[in-house]
Amino acid sequence: MAEKNNLSPVERIKKESRGLRGTLKESLKDELTGAIREDDQALIKFHGMYQQDDRDRREERASKKLEWLYSFMIRLRLPGGFMTPEQWIGLHHIAGEHTTGVIKITTRQTIQMHGILKSHIKPTLKSFNTLHLDSIAACGDVNRNVICSAHPKQSPIHAEIFDYAARISAMALPKTRAYYEIWLDEQPLQAEEKQKEEDPLYQELYLPRKFKVAIAIPPNNDVDVFANDLGLIAIVENGRLAGFNIAVGGGLGTTHGNSQTYPRLATEIGFCEEGDVLLKLIYTIIGIQRDFGNRSDRKLARLKYTLDKMGVENFKTELEKRLGFNLRVPRAYRFTERRDYYGWQQNHEGKWYYTLFIENGRVRDDEGTSLKTALFEVAQTGTANFRFTTNQNLILSDINAKDKAIIDTILDKYGIIDNTRNAGAVRRNALACVALNTCPLALAEAQRYLPSLITKMEGILEKYGLQEDEISVRMTGCPNGCARPFAAEIGFVGTAYGFYNLYLGGDRLGTRLNKIYKENLDEVAILKELDELLAVYSRERKENESFGDFANHIWVNEK
Amino acid sequence: MLAEPKLKTFQELITNASREELIWMNGFLAGLVLGESNGHSSSGIPAAVKVNRISLVFGTETGNSKKLATDFAAKAKKTGVNVKLTSLDQYRLSDLAREEYFFIVVSTQGDGEPPGTAKKFYDHIFREKVQLNKLKYGVLALGDTAYPLFCKTGEDLDRQLQILGGTRVVPLQKCDTDYAGDAGAWFDQVMNVLSQGSSNDVVLPVIKKSKHKKNHSGTIITNMNLNDRGSGKQTHHIEIEVEGEAEYQPGDSIGIVPNNRKEIVSAILAVAGVDGTGTVEYRDERHTISDLLTGKLNIVHLPERVVKQYAAIVKQEIPDTRIDLLDLLRIYPVKDEIQFEKVLEVLEPIPPRLYSISSSPEAHGNEIHITVAKDRFNINKEEKFGLCSDFLSGLEPGTSVEFYVHRNLNFKLPAPDKDIIMVGPGTGIAPFRSFIAERDATGATGRNWLFFGDRKFTSDFLYQTEIQNWTQTGVLSKVSLAFSRDHEWKTYVQHRILEFSKDLWSWISGGGYIYVCGAREPMSRDVELAILQVISRQGGKSDQEALACLEQLKEEGRYLTDVY
Repeated sequence: MAEKNNLSPVERIKKESRGLRGTLKESLKDELTGAIREDDQALIKFHGMYQQDDRDRREERASKKLEWLYSFMIRLRLPGGFMTPEQWIGLHHIAGEHTTGVIKITTRQTIQMHGILKSHIKPTLKSFNTLHLDSIAACGDVNRNVICSAHPKQSPIHAEIFDYAARISAMALPKTRAYYEIWLDEQPLQAEEKQKEEDPLYQELYLPRKFKVAIAIPPNNDVDVFANDLGLIAIVENGRLAGFNIAVGGGLGTTHGNSQTYPRLATEIGFCEEGDVLLKLIYTIIGIQRDFGNRSDRKLARLKYTLDKMGVENFKTELEKRLGFNLRVPRAYRFTERRDYYGWQQNHEGKWYYTLFIENGRVRDDEGTSLKTALFEVAQTGTANFRFTTNQNLILSDINAKDKAIIDTILDKYGIIDNTRNAGAVRRNALACVALNTCPLALAEAQRYLPSLITKMEGILEKYGLQEDEISVRMTGCPNGCARPFAAEIGFVGTAYGFYNLYLGGDRLGTRLNKIYKENLDEVAILKELDELLAVYSRERKENESFGDFANHIWVNEK
Repeated sequence: MLAEPKLKTFQELITNASREELIWMNGFLAGLVLGESNGHSSSGIPAAVKVNRISLVFGTETGNSKKLATDFAAKAKKTGVNVKLTSLDQYRLSDLAREEYFFIVVSTQGDGEPPGTAKKFYDHIFREKVQLNKLKYGVLALGDTAYPLFCKTGEDLDRQLQILGGTRVVPLQKCDTDYAGDAGAWFDQVMNVLSQGSSNDVVLPVIKKSKHKKNHSGTIITNMNLNDRGSGKQTHHIEIEVEGEAEYQPGDSIGIVPNNRKEIVSAILAVAGVDGTGTVEYRDERHTISDLLTGKLNIVHLPERVVKQYAAIVKQEIPDTRIDLLDLLRIYPVKDEIQFEKVLEVLEPIPPRLYSISSSPEAHGNEIHITVAKDRFNINKEEKFGLCSDFLSGLEPGTSVEFYVHRNLNFKLPAPDKDIIMVGPGTGIAPFRSFIAERDATGATGRNWLFFGDRKFTSDFLYQTEIQNWTQTGVLSKVSLAFSRDHEWKTYVQHRILEFSKDLWSWISGGGYIYVCGAREPMSRDVELAILQVISRQGGKSDQEALACLEQLKEEGRYLTDVY
């Protein structure tokens, strides 16, 4: 019950929003502007959208007496990142009709689309609704899209574990009907039905900040489970799901120049059996963050700060008090990798899976590969489900042996197989956030720039014979950490247009954060540094020593 | 033979005379020599009969003819003359043969065409062999001396009515854009005739001598395409800093004479094998050939009458068609420089183009702003641009331009406390930007409602940020927008008018003024139909009553259009 006296402005907006409604309907009706009212910009996030503008175009449009080119980003709620081929076909058409046309796979296993004009939001959401898709709580101070280890070959009980993503998402969904009223023209509830909207979890103020839940299935930490507010690590014993280790307080977002902010990996606090008790545990943890989280400074509001302020032991005590039972000690497990399994793979039932490399998660047709067309054609066969990975890739899934050849032919025809096969080791493991020109927080480029930087890096890697080394490289346009740069072996965090801080020494599994090595480097300086670092690494590394581990003890740890 | 002063007068008299006038003069002088008459003849005319019933018809484009005719009718009624005032498009053609005293006020369109409302009448008297032996008539012609066929419609009607047997009782009066004085003088003559009865002989036609219009110069300070990238349109906001003072009011236009493209001029000189620095005389002034072709002569899309003269000069058969000078020179070359200079003589001046002023004298000080859509059209699959919009859109800041102010007395703001409804899609927004800025600057208390439309919200919302500001400060009480290409269904301003019919009717019935500016077809027609529906639906009127109501609004000057 902290800092109640000095609430941040967003807290007031939430409180006065009448269940996240605000004046969104009025904002939509205002024909003069493509923007919505300022308070509504905070509320629309809870409906899965961000107001953005094309920052490249501000000045020119102002001289034309036109307002900024406002549009909206819509992000779907897609627990575990699963979609049927019918849903993909629908999505393909919606992208063509209402958006920039690019379907973007995010680092949280969902889809977002950009460039949707205000007048197109309702038609877009209505179309999604007919596909049984929604964007509720995809952004905002709520439980975000729940992610889960993507590849079904990971475990024979993948489906059972995967199912928790949807169960957790449903449990932590806001109860307000605002989404249906505003975007889908549902009639407001009658007075006597109003109790249906009562929300004991989120109450009036929702959470102090976003809340992220991830489920990992060892030995693969593809989801970067420790980068989440709440990490669940599946414990499989004797071929059955025993339960989950519980890790709390992860989060990578920081603020430049604010020394109170820091990236943090989640702390394992115990083990919980599977079943309803797990859902109750999650519900309770969210409740503690709701009650103890910082509501005066949003930069210090994530669970990691709540946890460190309370102390891990006090947090655990509060949790056990609310639960009425004590957590068991964490069980043993081992992560050995953090990756996507590219190419054709088979699960325990003999179903086939093809993981495509999609640079920065951007599905579109360009000169090289007609990815969007290829996927549309695959979807039209109706033989493959679509699964998204937290590395922004796509797994064509659950394909029967008899259909494998058809899919393979289509992928080959459009150059997808070659594209996946030929992507360098660094490139196919790299991550970048959206950044310029749409993200309002961006200080520097990321997804538009990283591919060309990697091309230049590849020359250096080749020079030192490191081209097969799967060094993880991640870049963000600001320190908020969307592409998890602090959990990379080489992290770039934008500080200003064309300048980046360079972070080194994270491990390849996402269990150790990197540290800052050099500040404010431009491209020339970045390439010079990397050339020197990789030269030393190639000469002096021990056998099988990853770049992150090497960098950690040579360069950043003694700092 | 004549002494110097007389010769000068004589030359002045004949220099600007038309062929018909010369023929008339010839006959008149011959008559004088034969000692038949004294010119203001009266060969057996009945004594003065007081006339108390006349028809006064008008053919109007911008409303000036109508305004004049309406004023005349009011004046005539005061003296006891019964005036049947009719717009030519409403005139029952079968009545013509029965008319006795018949007066016409008519304007002329760009290239000598009758105004839209006079077209039917014009065609009728040229096509039908009507006998008008009873008809006693007079024509007042409005025009603009800047155009080659100044007052042509008035001339045509005046001549044709005579051919059909009518008797001209008042000479044709041709008026330039500052028509008030000449028009008044013509009407005095009409009244004079009415009070004295007619003379059935021809009176010397009074030709208004072309005065030089007051030209202003200015410097382009801004030239910005308002449409965003990706738009199918190009609309330039052009700000001109005026040297000295150019007096205007919101609703007025400026006339600008465009220059021809330099590369076309060079090509013409090359094809003709002529040196552009040589000088020639054109309409009493000496110019270099290059200057003449660049800034004075119309060389594109030449009218058939010019093509005919060209054919005569080069002595070749050329089909009756509109064609560019460059193409003529290529296909039917001139023999030598002498022929080329003869061609220059028959070319007509570049007509000016009028643009509604989009600035306000109160808000924008010594600047005049215009809003120019770059015209694009295809001729034989080749993309071409309108001469003037192409010229203007290419002007760099710092370039000087010449222009004149063209008054539009029929498109003026009402008293400051009156509500106004402005319908101005596309470049139709121009005068309304002026209106709103003016009302903002002067603190007018009347409410302002703007209807604007274009293709796409994101790229074609002209003056968006200004309109947003005026809405925030409350100058604009309401703004209704229609973008036709944002959705599968097309929305135009008339749809928004119908959607808001209830509010609109309350504005109209509360004394509001309606202004429509932009494309004549189909916009202004669709808007008028929509307004009629608003009147009938909301005012509970039959179609007939709604029409009458709209007519009344027009009579009262509360439904005003500036359409093109």
